[in-house]
Amino acid sequence: MRPRSHFLAFLLCALMLPSIAVVLVAVVGMASQESAMEAAVSSYVQDLAESMSYHLSSDADIWTFQILSDFSRFPFFSWGPSIPGWVALISQEGKVIASSPGAMNIATIWKPDFEIGKAVKVEDRQGAQYTIAVYPVKRPSGGYVVTAVSWPQLLGGLVGVVRIWPALIVMIALSSFFAIRLLWSRLVIPLQSLVAEIDNMTLGKDVPDMIEEGAVKEIESVQSALSRYAQAAVDRDDLRNRYVRDVVQAQERERMDMAREIHDGPLQDVTALLQQIHMTLEDDDVNDNARIRKTESIAKSVVRELRALCDELAPPWMDLGFSEALTELTERLSQAYDVQVSADFDDEIREVDIENEKILSLLRIIQEAVSNAVRHGGADEVHISVSRNDDDVLTLEISDNGSGFDSGHINHETLRVEGHRGLASMTERMSLMGGTLRIDSKIGEGTTITASFKL
Amino acid sequence: MTVKILLADDHPLTRSGIAEFVKREETFKLVAEAEDGAKAWELIQELKPDVALLDIRMPGIDGVTVAQKVKNEGLNTAIVMLTSYDAQQYVIASLRAGARGFVLKTVSPKELTTAINTVAKGGLYLDPEVASVMGEQDFIPEQLSVREREVLLLAAKGLSSKEVARRLFISERTVQTHLASIYDKLGSRNKTEALLLALKYGVVTLEELLEDD
Repeated sequence: MRPRSHFLAFLLCALMLPSIAVVLVAVVGMASQESAMEAAVSSYVQDLAESMSYHLSSDADIWTFQILSDFSRFPFFSWGPSIPGWVALISQEGKVIASSPGAMNIATIWKPDFEIGKAVKVEDRQGAQYTIAVYPVKRPSGGYVVTAVSWPQLLGGLVGVVRIWPALIVMIALSSFFAIRLLWSRLVIPLQSLVAEIDNMTLGKDVPDMIEEGAVKEIESVQSALSRYAQAAVDRDDLRNRYVRDVVQAQERERMDMAREIHDGPLQDVTALLQQIHMTLEDDDVNDNARIRKTESIAKSVVRELRALCDELAPPWMDLGFSEALTELTERLSQAYDVQVSADFDDEIREVDIENEKILSLLRIIQEAVSNAVRHGGADEVHISVSRNDDDVLTLEISDNGSGFDSGHINHETLRVEGHRGLASMTERMSLMGGTLRIDSKIGEGTTITASFKL
Repeated sequence: MTVKILLADDHPLTRSGIAEFVKREETFKLVAEAEDGAKAWELIQELKPDVALLDIRMPGIDGVTVAQKVKNEGLNTAIVMLTSYDAQQYVIASLRAGARGFVLKTVSPKELTTAINTVAKGGLYLDPEVASVMGEQDFIPEQLSVREREVLLLAAKGLSSKEVARRLFISERTVQTHLASIYDKLGSRNKTEALLLALKYGVVTLEELLEDD
């Protein structure tokens, strides 16, 4: 099963979208709040400047008397506006005539080209923002009323919060992202690899690999439980295989012993008997020649039967070595089934030294393969090729031109239960030798059996 | 002329049977009997018999190994293999080891006499049971073409069809056609039988087969 990546997308959306939405709402809210405040502050400074300029214009005395001594009539100059900020009266040349506290920095922001009667936002050298409005005073000496609202003073601590707010949101988004990553790497990915392990595991053969470090405890426990379970199955299968191997091995040894017994015992005895008959036949004084001849033919057929029995159990000629035994077997099989069984091997195979028990196993596999090819596949040609690679692995390839079958659906257990032990026993023999056996077949394309093992 | 014979077989009953055969023949003299390969080799060296009848399967050293030793030492003793088994590869192995005769233990006294006499004169004797012709066929060596003879010899040395084809610069298919024709002419069923029959008929000689290339 492939890890579902859209689950990750879902997780990301579920956790990230609210954060993004909050950020967006906050940005929009802040923007609209700021513009509303700006509008309010603008109209405030405008109105203040306008009304001040009106008062100052109508009062002639301000220009004739010492105005600085009589500011009590203009509380603005004493206390400043009701919103944090300041007011100032400046001359045509830009000199401050009168101002409220806090207007010291007017010089730093004053520019002669300020638009008259309209609130504008400016910044002083420290970066503090002000909304100011300038109104002319209608007197012959001229001059301007300047009103300003200081944003840092107006908003105070709120400015800081407003600036931290997006950072907080970004932090929330980031932390949820890392949480998802953590969830993904510690939980989802280990879980997925665990599922993949289970899917690919052949019970009785594999023990799952340990998941990389970092998975959550719960998954590690599931994994170790699975490992124990798989190991138990492997052990059980091992035990069964060992048992089967022991049985096969014991059977094989017994057969070899029996063949030797027959060869050295009854076969020799009947041969001796036959020799006696031959000599009796040569004696002239034998009365009943016909009966002796009959006895001779019986003895001969017993010899043939005993030889055949030995061949069946464990042919003595396999002592000659693998390549000779292989040649003998193919020639015998060709005759027995009346089909063409040929064998091809390189010169170096002749030098290969294989133990008798292994030769016997290989001979049995060939016998079984040829028998299957002829009886089930109707093959009339079977070719055996033997090769040895650089790693000392001997490979026996038995291919036939029979009808073939679907080798993708071989189930050894089913075959065994149904009584077809051939394929299963071939595989068992190879595994007994520490080798492998592969069966490739397609309907209509014959069968190839590949057996290989390390020398 | 008397032929001095040594007999080696680990089975007492068959050994005494064969010994009786030999003793009956006036021109044969059984000089020694051995019950295993080591003893046989010792006696061959000591007594230098004309012919040694050796069982293949014996405890310790087997008959084929003894034959090989005789061949390697260049002794004049002619070896006849005596066996209970009709495996053609036994015949080939024996001939390669230098044996000049191959008889089954079920042989009749007459055939055994022929075998001993043939090898004593330097000839080659193969038991009819291991080199028998299917049907009665009279064979003249010339019936095999030169190319067929070459193919048979190389194949008999154990070369695969592919290798034979490579050596003779012909295709594998052609080699197989030649082999089929050889089998047909000799009345054999396979390569080994074809070779044994070819030896029997004198189409190829034992020396040619043993020659290294």
